[in-house]
Amino acid sequence: MTTDYLRGIKKALTGDGSTPLVLVCNFEAEAFWAERYLGLPSVPFSASTRLVRRMEELGVLLGGPDDYLVVSEDVDPGFRRYAEDLGFALPTVLVPENVDPARSTTENALASPELLARLGGIDGVLLPMGTTVPEQKLAEETGLPLAVPGAEVFERVNSKIYGRRVAAAGGLRPVPGFECETTAEFLAVLDELEPLVAQGERVVVKDAYGVSGKGLVVLDAAVKVAGVRKLVTRRAARTGDDRLHVVVERWLPKRFDLNYQFTVGRDGAVAFDFVKQALTEDGVHKGHLVPAELPPHHHEELRRAADVIGARLHADGFSGVAGVDAILGADGVLYPLLEINARLNMSTYQGGVTERLLPPGHTALARHYTLRLDGRLPFDHVRATLGALLDERDGERVVVTCAGTVNANAADDAPFEGRLYAVLVAPDRSRLAALDAATQTALTTLESR
Amino acid sequence: MDRPSVVKTIVNALSEIMQREYSEVTEETRLFEDLHLDSTSVLTLLMALEDQTGIEVDPESLQMENFQTIGTLADYIEGNLDVSV
Repeated sequence: MTTDYLRGIKKALTGDGSTPLVLVCNFEAEAFWAERYLGLPSVPFSASTRLVRRMEELGVLLGGPDDYLVVSEDVDPGFRRYAEDLGFALPTVLVPENVDPARSTTENALASPELLARLGGIDGVLLPMGTTVPEQKLAEETGLPLAVPGAEVFERVNSKIYGRRVAAAGGLRPVPGFECETTAEFLAVLDELEPLVAQGERVVVKDAYGVSGKGLVVLDAAVKVAGVRKLVTRRAARTGDDRLHVVVERWLPKRFDLNYQFTVGRDGAVAFDFVKQALTEDGVHKGHLVPAELPPHHHEELRRAADVIGARLHADGFSGVAGVDAILGADGVLYPLLEINARLNMSTYQGGVTERLLPPGHTALARHYTLRLDGRLPFDHVRATLGALLDERDGERVVVTCAGTVNANAADDAPFEGRLYAVLVAPDRSRLAALDAATQTALTTLESR
Repeated sequence: MDRPSVVKTIVNALSEIMQREYSEVTEETRLFEDLHLDSTSVLTLLMALEDQTGIEVDPESLQMENFQTIGTLADYIEGNLDVSV
Protein backbone atom coordinates (compact mmCIF):
# COMPACT_ATOMS: atom_id res chain seq x y z
CA MET A 1 0.00 0.00 0.00
CA THR A 2 1.10 3.55 -0.64
CA THR A 3 1.44 5.79 2.43
CA ASP A 4 -0.62 8.98 2.77
CA TYR A 5 2.68 10.82 2.86
CA LEU A 6 3.72 9.58 -0.58
CA ARG A 7 0.22 10.08 -1.96
CA GLY A 8 0.44 13.71 -0.83
CA ILE A 9 3.72 14.20 -2.68
CA LYS A 10 2.28 12.60 -5.85
CA LYS A 11 -0.84 14.75 -5.66
CA ALA A 12 1.16 17.98 -5.21
CA LEU A 13 3.58 17.22 -8.03
CA THR A 14 1.37 15.50 -10.59
CA GLY A 15 -2.20 16.40 -9.61
CA ASP A 16 -2.99 12.73 -8.97
CA GLY A 17 -2.19 10.81 -5.76
CA SER A 18 -1.85 7.53 -7.66
CA THR A 19 0.67 8.47 -10.38
CA PRO A 20 3.44 5.83 -10.53
CA LEU A 21 6.85 7.31 -9.72
CA VAL A 22 10.21 6.28 -11.05
CA LEU A 23 12.55 7.21 -8.20
CA VAL A 24 16.21 8.01 -8.70
CA CYS A 25 17.80 8.91 -5.39
CA ASN A 26 20.82 10.85 -6.65
CA PHE A 27 22.33 11.93 -3.35
CA GLU A 28 25.34 13.29 -5.22
CA ALA A 29 23.23 16.02 -6.90
CA GLU A 30 25.05 18.93 -5.21
CA ALA A 31 28.30 17.96 -6.90
CA PHE A 32 26.65 18.40 -10.33
CA TRP A 33 25.07 21.73 -9.44
CA ALA A 34 28.45 22.93 -8.17
CA GLU A 35 30.23 22.31 -11.47
CA ARG A 36 29.92 25.85 -12.83
CA TYR A 37 30.83 27.49 -9.52
CA LEU A 38 34.05 27.88 -7.62
CA GLY A 39 34.17 27.25 -3.89
CA LEU A 40 37.10 27.30 -1.50
CA PRO A 41 40.18 25.46 -2.73
CA SER A 42 39.74 21.83 -1.82
CA VAL A 43 41.43 18.51 -2.27
CA PRO A 44 40.16 16.69 -5.36
CA PHE A 45 39.05 13.55 -3.56
CA SER A 46 36.50 12.39 -1.12
CA ALA A 47 36.52 9.22 0.92
CA SER A 48 32.81 8.62 0.73
CA THR A 49 31.44 9.02 -2.81
CA ARG A 50 30.42 5.36 -3.02
CA LEU A 51 28.77 5.50 0.37
CA VAL A 52 26.82 8.64 -0.54
CA ARG A 53 25.65 7.06 -3.79
CA ARG A 54 24.57 3.88 -2.03
CA MET A 55 22.22 5.93 0.13
CA GLU A 56 19.92 5.61 -2.88
CA GLU A 57 18.58 2.48 -1.23
CA LEU A 58 16.68 4.76 1.20
CA GLY A 59 14.18 5.00 -1.68
CA VAL A 60 13.07 1.41 -0.98
CA LEU A 61 10.94 2.53 1.99
CA LEU A 62 9.63 5.68 0.27
CA GLY A 63 8.25 4.09 -2.89
CA GLY A 64 5.03 2.09 -2.90
CA PRO A 65 4.04 -1.01 -4.86
CA ASP A 66 3.04 1.07 -7.92
CA ASP A 67 6.43 2.80 -8.03
CA TYR A 68 9.89 1.98 -9.38
CA LEU A 69 13.31 2.55 -7.87
CA VAL A 70 16.43 2.64 -10.05
CA VAL A 71 19.58 1.63 -8.14
CA SER A 72 23.05 0.51 -9.25
CA GLU A 73 23.09 -2.55 -7.02
CA ASP A 74 20.14 -4.76 -6.18
CA VAL A 75 18.70 -4.69 -2.68
CA ASP A 76 20.04 -7.34 -0.28
CA PRO A 77 17.38 -10.11 -0.25
CA GLY A 78 17.56 -10.16 3.54
CA PHE A 79 16.73 -6.46 3.73
CA ARG A 80 13.88 -6.94 1.29
CA ARG A 81 12.41 -9.71 3.49
CA TYR A 82 12.85 -7.52 6.56
CA ALA A 83 11.06 -4.54 4.96
CA GLU A 84 8.23 -6.79 3.78
CA ASP A 85 7.95 -8.35 7.25
CA LEU A 86 7.47 -4.79 8.56
CA GLY A 87 4.47 -4.53 6.24
CA PHE A 88 6.00 -2.34 3.53
CA ALA A 89 4.91 -3.07 -0.04
CA LEU A 90 8.09 -2.26 -1.90
CA PRO A 91 8.58 -0.54 -5.24
CA THR A 92 9.85 -2.52 -8.23
CA VAL A 93 13.64 -2.32 -8.10
CA LEU A 94 15.36 -1.82 -11.47
CA VAL A 95 19.13 -2.25 -11.89
CA PRO A 96 20.89 -0.95 -15.04
CA GLU A 97 22.51 -3.79 -17.00
CA ASN A 98 25.73 -1.79 -17.45
CA VAL A 99 27.06 -0.65 -14.09
CA ASP A 100 30.40 1.08 -13.64
CA PRO A 101 31.11 1.88 -9.97
CA ALA A 102 32.77 5.15 -11.02
CA ARG A 103 29.50 6.44 -12.46
CA SER A 104 26.33 7.64 -10.79
CA THR A 105 23.20 5.50 -11.07
CA THR A 106 21.64 7.89 -13.60
CA GLU A 107 24.79 7.68 -15.72
CA ASN A 108 24.65 3.89 -15.46
CA ALA A 109 20.99 3.98 -16.55
CA LEU A 110 21.85 6.19 -19.54
CA ALA A 111 24.43 3.59 -20.62
CA SER A 112 21.92 0.70 -20.38
CA PRO A 113 19.63 0.36 -23.43
CA GLU A 114 17.55 -2.46 -21.92
CA LEU A 115 16.76 -0.43 -18.82
CA LEU A 116 16.02 2.68 -20.92
CA ALA A 117 13.52 0.65 -22.95
CA ARG A 118 11.90 -0.70 -19.77
CA LEU A 119 11.62 2.80 -18.28
CA GLY A 120 10.20 4.10 -21.54
CA GLY A 121 7.33 1.64 -21.20
CA ILE A 122 6.27 2.89 -17.76
CA ASP A 123 3.20 5.13 -17.57
CA GLY A 124 4.53 7.34 -14.79
CA VAL A 125 6.82 10.27 -13.99
CA LEU A 126 10.47 10.55 -13.02
CA LEU A 127 11.18 11.88 -9.52
CA PRO A 128 14.89 12.34 -8.87
CA MET A 129 16.13 13.49 -5.48
CA GLY A 130 17.01 16.68 -7.35
CA THR A 131 17.28 17.25 -11.09
CA THR A 132 20.78 17.55 -12.51
CA VAL A 133 21.77 17.38 -16.18
CA PRO A 134 21.95 13.53 -16.26
CA GLU A 135 18.43 13.11 -14.76
CA GLN A 136 17.13 15.61 -17.31
CA LYS A 137 18.76 13.55 -20.01
CA LEU A 138 17.23 10.38 -18.57
CA ALA A 139 13.78 11.97 -18.82
CA GLU A 140 14.45 12.91 -22.44
CA GLU A 141 15.85 9.50 -23.40
CA THR A 142 12.99 7.53 -21.82
CA GLY A 143 10.14 9.91 -22.54
CA LEU A 144 9.28 9.87 -18.82
CA PRO A 145 8.11 13.36 -17.83
CA LEU A 146 9.96 14.90 -14.88
CA ALA A 147 7.73 15.37 -11.80
CA VAL A 148 9.81 18.42 -10.90
CA PRO A 149 11.55 21.20 -12.87
CA GLY A 150 14.77 20.82 -14.85
CA ALA A 151 18.40 21.07 -13.81
CA GLU A 152 18.73 24.80 -14.41
CA VAL A 153 16.02 25.66 -11.86
CA PHE A 154 17.41 23.22 -9.27
CA GLU A 155 20.89 24.62 -9.68
CA ARG A 156 19.70 28.19 -9.19
CA VAL A 157 17.59 27.65 -6.06
CA ASN A 158 20.00 25.35 -4.24
CA SER A 159 22.79 27.89 -3.88
CA LYS A 160 23.47 29.14 -0.36
CA ILE A 161 23.86 32.59 -1.93
CA TYR A 162 20.29 32.31 -3.24
CA GLY A 163 19.09 31.22 0.22
CA ARG A 164 20.59 34.29 1.93
CA ARG A 165 19.01 36.56 -0.67
CA VAL A 166 15.60 34.93 -0.21
CA ALA A 167 15.86 35.52 3.56
CA ALA A 168 16.72 39.19 3.02
CA ALA A 169 14.02 39.81 0.40
CA GLY A 170 11.37 37.89 2.37
CA GLY A 171 11.99 39.71 5.65
CA LEU A 172 13.14 36.52 7.41
CA ARG A 173 15.57 37.11 10.28
CA PRO A 174 18.95 36.74 8.59
CA VAL A 175 22.04 35.05 10.00
CA PRO A 176 24.58 37.92 10.06
CA GLY A 177 26.85 37.42 7.10
CA PHE A 178 27.75 38.06 3.49
CA GLU A 179 27.45 36.57 0.01
CA CYS A 180 30.57 36.61 -2.16
CA GLU A 181 30.94 35.90 -5.87
CA THR A 182 34.51 37.04 -6.42
CA THR A 183 37.80 36.63 -4.60
CA ALA A 184 38.04 40.41 -4.23
CA GLU A 185 34.66 40.52 -2.45
CA PHE A 186 35.71 37.65 -0.20
CA LEU A 187 39.01 39.28 0.77
CA ALA A 188 37.17 42.51 1.63
CA VAL A 189 34.81 40.52 3.89
CA LEU A 190 37.78 38.83 5.58
CA ASP A 191 39.33 42.26 6.23
CA GLU A 192 36.12 43.32 7.91
CA LEU A 193 35.75 40.16 10.00
CA GLU A 194 39.38 39.54 10.97
CA PRO A 195 39.27 41.86 14.04
CA LEU A 196 36.18 39.97 15.27
CA VAL A 197 37.95 36.63 14.89
CA ALA A 198 40.95 38.03 16.75
CA GLN A 199 38.54 38.89 19.61
CA GLY A 200 37.32 35.28 19.78
CA GLU A 201 34.32 35.34 17.40
CA ARG A 202 33.92 32.36 15.07
CA VAL A 203 33.18 32.83 11.41
CA VAL A 204 32.22 30.10 8.97
CA VAL A 205 32.90 30.12 5.22
CA LYS A 206 30.66 27.82 3.18
CA ASP A 207 30.78 26.94 -0.50
CA ALA A 208 27.60 28.04 -2.29
CA TYR A 209 27.03 24.39 -3.22
CA GLY A 210 28.73 22.57 -0.37
CA VAL A 211 26.99 19.43 0.87
CA SER A 212 26.10 19.50 4.57
CA GLY A 213 29.26 19.33 6.61
CA LYS A 214 31.51 19.63 3.57
CA GLY A 215 32.95 22.58 1.68
CA LEU A 216 33.08 24.70 4.78
CA VAL A 217 35.82 26.02 6.99
CA VAL A 218 35.49 27.53 10.44
CA LEU A 219 37.73 30.50 11.10
CA ASP A 220 38.33 30.70 14.85
CA ALA A 221 41.87 32.07 14.93
CA ALA A 222 43.72 34.83 13.06
CA VAL A 223 46.13 32.22 11.66
CA LYS A 224 43.21 30.47 9.92
CA VAL A 225 42.00 33.75 8.40
CA ALA A 226 45.52 34.28 7.07
CA GLY A 227 45.63 30.69 5.80
CA VAL A 228 42.40 30.87 3.83
CA ARG A 229 43.30 34.32 2.49
CA LYS A 230 46.58 32.91 1.22
CA LEU A 231 44.90 29.88 -0.39
CA VAL A 232 42.30 31.85 -2.35
CA THR A 233 44.72 34.60 -3.38
CA ARG A 234 47.24 32.07 -4.63
CA ARG A 235 44.64 30.16 -6.64
CA ALA A 236 43.22 33.31 -8.24
CA ALA A 237 46.75 34.42 -9.21
CA ARG A 238 47.60 31.01 -10.64
CA THR A 239 44.39 30.47 -12.63
CA GLY A 240 43.53 34.08 -13.47
CA ASP A 241 39.99 33.22 -12.34
CA ASP A 242 38.62 35.68 -9.79
CA ARG A 243 35.33 33.85 -9.16
CA LEU A 244 34.60 32.58 -5.66
CA HIS A 245 31.08 31.55 -4.70
CA VAL A 246 30.79 31.36 -0.92
CA VAL A 247 28.78 32.71 1.97
CA VAL A 248 30.53 33.98 5.08
CA GLU A 249 28.52 33.92 8.31
CA ARG A 250 28.96 34.67 11.99
CA TRP A 251 28.84 31.44 14.01
CA LEU A 252 25.77 31.82 16.18
CA PRO A 253 25.69 30.29 19.67
CA LYS A 254 22.72 27.93 19.48
CA ARG A 255 20.45 25.64 21.44
CA PHE A 256 20.09 23.39 18.42
CA ASP A 257 19.74 23.17 14.66
CA LEU A 258 16.39 22.53 13.06
CA ASN A 259 15.34 21.11 9.75
CA TYR A 260 11.86 21.56 8.35
CA GLN A 261 10.33 20.39 5.13
CA PHE A 262 7.51 21.57 2.92
CA THR A 263 6.21 20.67 -0.52
CA VAL A 264 5.59 23.26 -3.21
CA GLY A 265 2.85 22.04 -5.54
CA ARG A 266 2.79 22.68 -9.27
CA ASP A 267 0.04 25.21 -8.52
CA GLY A 268 2.23 27.00 -5.97
CA ALA A 269 0.38 25.69 -2.91
CA VAL A 270 2.80 25.21 0.00
CA ALA A 271 2.15 22.27 2.34
CA PHE A 272 4.19 22.19 5.56
CA ASP A 273 5.38 18.61 6.15
CA PHE A 274 7.30 18.52 9.47
CA VAL A 275 10.07 19.98 11.58
CA LYS A 276 12.91 17.99 13.13
CA GLN A 277 15.52 18.88 15.72
CA ALA A 278 19.18 18.07 15.18
CA LEU A 279 20.80 15.98 17.88
CA THR A 280 24.46 16.74 18.47
CA GLU A 281 26.91 15.20 20.88
CA ASP A 282 30.19 17.01 21.60
CA GLY A 283 29.46 19.21 18.60
CA VAL A 284 29.13 16.25 16.22
CA HIS A 285 25.85 15.77 14.34
CA LYS A 286 24.19 12.54 15.45
CA GLY A 287 20.77 12.62 13.88
CA HIS A 288 17.33 14.19 13.87
CA LEU A 289 14.66 14.04 16.56
CA VAL A 290 10.92 14.39 16.30
CA PRO A 291 9.02 16.07 17.72
CA ALA A 292 11.27 19.13 17.97
CA GLU A 293 11.29 20.80 21.39
CA LEU A 294 9.82 24.06 20.18
CA PRO A 295 7.13 26.27 21.71
CA PRO A 296 4.02 26.85 19.56
CA HIS A 297 5.06 30.36 18.51
CA HIS A 298 8.27 29.00 16.96
CA HIS A 299 6.30 26.34 15.08
CA GLU A 300 4.12 29.16 13.78
CA GLU A 301 7.16 31.19 12.76
CA LEU A 302 8.54 28.23 10.78
CA ARG A 303 5.21 27.73 9.00
CA ARG A 304 5.18 31.39 8.02
CA ALA A 305 8.79 31.10 6.81
CA ALA A 306 7.85 28.03 4.74
CA ASP A 307 5.06 30.04 3.09
CA VAL A 308 7.45 32.91 2.27
CA ILE A 309 10.22 30.63 0.96
CA GLY A 310 7.78 28.35 -0.89
CA ALA A 311 6.15 31.31 -2.66
CA ARG A 312 9.53 32.62 -3.71
CA LEU A 313 10.68 29.19 -4.92
CA HIS A 314 7.52 28.83 -6.98
CA ALA A 315 7.95 32.31 -8.44
CA ASP A 316 11.47 31.25 -9.46
CA GLY A 317 10.15 28.21 -11.32
CA PHE A 318 10.46 25.54 -8.62
CA SER A 319 7.99 22.92 -7.50
CA GLY A 320 8.80 19.91 -5.38
CA VAL A 321 9.96 18.96 -1.91
CA ALA A 322 12.23 21.43 -0.10
CA GLY A 323 14.04 21.19 3.22
CA VAL A 324 15.29 24.22 5.09
CA ASP A 325 17.91 24.33 7.85
CA ALA A 326 17.21 26.76 10.68
CA ILE A 327 18.77 27.58 14.04
CA LEU A 328 17.34 28.21 17.47
CA GLY A 329 19.87 30.59 19.01
CA ALA A 330 21.15 30.21 22.58
CA ASP A 331 19.10 33.33 23.40
CA GLY A 332 15.89 31.67 22.17
CA VAL A 333 15.80 33.67 18.93
CA LEU A 334 14.82 31.67 15.86
CA TYR A 335 16.73 32.08 12.59
CA PRO A 336 14.30 30.43 10.18
CA LEU A 337 16.52 30.23 7.08
CA LEU A 338 20.11 29.09 7.25
CA GLU A 339 20.03 27.26 3.94
CA ILE A 340 17.52 25.86 1.47
CA ASN A 341 17.83 22.31 0.17
CA ALA A 342 15.23 22.38 -2.58
CA ARG A 343 15.26 18.64 -3.22
CA LEU A 344 14.20 15.50 -1.43
CA ASN A 345 15.92 15.37 1.96
CA MET A 346 16.97 12.51 4.27
CA SER A 347 13.74 13.17 6.18
CA THR A 348 11.67 12.78 3.00
CA TYR A 349 12.79 9.17 2.71
CA GLN A 350 11.70 8.53 6.31
CA GLY A 351 8.21 10.01 5.78
CA GLY A 352 6.56 6.66 5.13
CA VAL A 353 8.38 4.99 8.04
CA THR A 354 7.28 7.60 10.59
CA GLU A 355 3.71 7.59 9.24
CA ARG A 356 3.40 3.83 9.66
CA LEU A 357 5.59 3.06 12.67
CA LEU A 358 5.70 6.17 14.89
CA PRO A 359 2.68 6.00 17.24
CA PRO A 360 1.07 9.34 18.20
CA GLY A 361 2.77 10.98 21.18
CA HIS A 362 5.96 8.95 20.71
CA THR A 363 9.38 10.27 19.86
CA ALA A 364 11.79 9.22 17.10
CA LEU A 365 15.47 9.56 16.31
CA ALA A 366 16.76 9.18 12.74
CA ARG A 367 20.48 8.49 12.62
CA HIS A 368 23.19 6.31 11.18
CA TYR A 369 25.66 4.02 12.90
CA THR A 370 29.19 3.84 11.54
CA LEU A 371 30.60 0.33 11.35
CA ARG A 372 34.22 -0.70 10.82
CA LEU A 373 34.07 -4.02 9.07
CA ASP A 374 36.45 -6.74 7.95
CA GLY A 375 34.24 -8.04 5.17
CA ARG A 376 30.81 -7.84 3.52
CA LEU A 377 28.01 -8.14 6.02
CA PRO A 378 24.75 -9.70 4.77
CA PHE A 379 21.67 -7.97 6.19
CA ASP A 380 20.42 -11.23 7.75
CA HIS A 381 23.48 -11.09 10.00
CA VAL A 382 22.67 -7.49 11.03
CA ARG A 383 19.06 -8.51 11.64
CA ALA A 384 20.08 -11.45 13.83
CA THR A 385 22.49 -9.26 15.78
CA LEU A 386 19.92 -6.56 16.50
CA GLY A 387 17.40 -9.30 17.31
CA ALA A 388 14.67 -8.16 19.66
CA LEU A 389 15.62 -4.47 19.25
CA LEU A 390 13.92 -4.63 15.85
CA ASP A 391 10.65 -5.91 17.33
CA GLU A 392 7.97 -3.64 18.71
CA ARG A 393 8.18 -3.93 22.51
CA ASP A 394 6.14 -1.67 24.72
CA GLY A 395 6.20 1.22 22.24
CA GLU A 396 9.86 1.05 21.25
CA ARG A 397 11.71 -0.43 18.31
CA VAL A 398 14.55 0.10 15.84
CA VAL A 399 13.63 0.38 12.15
CA VAL A 400 16.49 -0.06 9.68
CA THR A 401 15.98 2.29 6.73
CA CYS A 402 19.06 1.60 4.60
CA ALA A 403 21.36 -1.40 4.65
CA GLY A 404 23.13 -1.04 1.28
CA THR A 405 25.48 1.56 2.77
CA VAL A 406 26.89 -1.06 5.17
CA ASN A 407 28.85 -2.70 2.35
CA ALA A 408 29.33 0.33 0.06
CA ASN A 409 33.08 0.42 0.71
CA ALA A 410 33.61 -3.34 0.84
CA ALA A 411 36.05 -3.15 -2.09
CA ASP A 412 38.47 -1.16 0.12
CA ASP A 413 41.17 -2.66 2.32
CA ALA A 414 39.83 -3.92 5.63
CA PRO A 415 38.76 -2.52 7.92
CA PHE A 416 36.43 -0.45 5.77
CA GLU A 417 33.74 1.96 6.88
CA GLY A 418 30.06 1.24 6.41
CA ARG A 419 26.89 2.87 7.66
CA LEU A 420 23.60 1.49 8.88
CA TYR A 421 20.72 3.98 8.70
CA ALA A 422 17.86 3.62 11.18
CA VAL A 423 14.88 5.32 12.75
CA LEU A 424 14.48 4.61 16.47
CA VAL A 425 11.05 4.94 18.07
CA ALA A 426 10.24 5.15 21.79
CA PRO A 427 7.57 6.63 24.09
CA ASP A 428 9.93 9.30 25.45
CA ARG A 429 13.40 10.81 25.09
CA SER A 430 15.04 8.86 27.90
CA ARG A 431 13.91 5.51 26.53
CA LEU A 432 14.98 6.67 23.08
CA ALA A 433 18.48 7.37 24.42
CA ALA A 434 18.59 3.92 26.08
CA LEU A 435 17.48 2.25 22.85
CA ASP A 436 20.15 4.15 20.94
CA ALA A 437 22.83 2.98 23.39
CA ALA A 438 21.61 -0.63 23.20
CA THR A 439 21.69 -0.50 19.38
CA GLN A 440 25.21 0.88 19.39
CA THR A 441 26.35 -1.85 21.79
CA ALA A 442 24.78 -4.61 19.70
CA LEU A 443 26.30 -3.31 16.46
CA THR A 444 29.76 -3.09 18.01
CA THR A 445 29.85 -6.91 18.10
CA LEU A 446 29.80 -6.90 14.28
CA GLU A 447 32.89 -4.72 13.99
CA SER A 448 36.48 -5.49 13.14
CA ARG A 449 38.57 -6.36 16.20
CA MET B 1 63.33 19.35 9.49
CA ASP B 2 63.98 15.63 9.99
CA ARG B 3 61.44 12.85 9.54
CA PRO B 4 60.42 12.50 13.22
CA SER B 5 59.85 16.28 13.38
CA VAL B 6 57.67 16.20 10.26
CA VAL B 7 55.59 13.35 11.70
CA LYS B 8 55.33 15.15 15.04
CA THR B 9 54.19 18.34 13.28
CA ILE B 10 51.47 16.39 11.43
CA VAL B 11 50.25 14.64 14.58
CA ASN B 12 50.17 17.92 16.53
CA ALA B 13 48.23 19.64 13.75
CA LEU B 14 45.77 16.71 13.62
CA SER B 15 45.28 16.82 17.40
CA GLU B 16 44.50 20.52 17.22
CA ILE B 17 42.07 20.20 14.29
CA MET B 18 40.25 17.09 15.46
CA GLN B 19 40.45 18.27 19.09
CA ARG B 20 41.64 15.02 20.54
CA GLU B 21 44.89 13.46 21.68
CA TYR B 22 46.55 10.91 19.41
CA SER B 23 48.94 8.96 21.58
CA GLU B 24 48.86 5.66 19.67
CA VAL B 25 49.12 6.78 16.04
CA THR B 26 51.93 5.54 13.82
CA GLU B 27 53.06 6.29 10.28
CA GLU B 28 50.66 3.54 9.16
CA THR B 29 47.60 5.22 10.70
CA ARG B 30 45.10 6.07 7.94
CA LEU B 31 43.82 9.65 7.85
CA PHE B 32 40.29 9.08 6.54
CA GLU B 33 39.45 5.59 7.75
CA ASP B 34 41.19 5.58 11.14
CA LEU B 35 41.15 9.26 12.16
CA HIS B 36 37.93 10.18 10.35
CA LEU B 37 39.40 13.19 8.63
CA ASP B 38 36.98 14.70 6.10
CA SER B 39 37.42 17.10 3.20
CA THR B 40 36.80 20.08 5.49
CA SER B 41 39.41 19.07 8.04
CA VAL B 42 41.89 18.32 5.22
CA LEU B 43 41.83 21.99 4.19
CA THR B 44 42.37 23.15 7.77
CA LEU B 45 45.17 20.59 8.14
CA LEU B 46 46.88 21.92 5.01
CA MET B 47 46.65 25.49 6.27
CA ALA B 48 48.19 24.45 9.60
CA LEU B 49 51.01 22.51 7.88
CA GLU B 50 51.78 25.43 5.57
CA ASP B 51 51.99 27.69 8.59
CA GLN B 52 54.25 25.37 10.58
CA THR B 53 56.58 24.04 7.88
CA GLY B 54 56.75 26.96 5.46
CA ILE B 55 55.81 24.80 2.45
CA GLU B 56 53.22 25.93 -0.09
CA VAL B 57 50.59 23.41 -1.16
CA ASP B 58 48.13 23.73 -3.99
CA PRO B 59 45.27 21.62 -2.58
CA GLU B 60 43.80 20.98 -6.01
CA SER B 61 47.05 19.32 -7.19
CA LEU B 62 47.04 16.78 -4.35
CA GLN B 63 46.46 13.11 -4.98
CA MET B 64 44.54 10.75 -2.72
CA GLU B 65 47.79 8.74 -2.36
CA ASN B 66 49.35 11.67 -0.47
CA PHE B 67 46.61 11.40 2.12
CA GLN B 68 46.48 7.65 2.73
CA THR B 69 48.40 7.61 5.99
CA ILE B 70 50.42 9.87 8.27
CA GLY B 71 53.50 8.34 6.62
CA THR B 72 52.47 9.18 3.03
CA LEU B 73 51.62 12.74 4.09
CA ALA B 74 55.05 13.00 5.73
CA ASP B 75 56.61 11.79 2.43
CA TYR B 76 54.73 14.51 0.57
CA ILE B 77 55.82 17.25 2.97
CA GLU B 78 59.45 16.07 2.96
CA GLY B 79 59.38 16.14 -0.84
CA ASN B 80 58.16 19.73 -0.83
CA LEU B 81 60.61 20.79 1.89
CA ASP B 82 63.43 19.61 -0.40
CA VAL B 83 62.06 21.74 -3.23
CA SER B 84 61.93 24.88 -1.13
CA VAL B 85 65.52 24.31 0.12
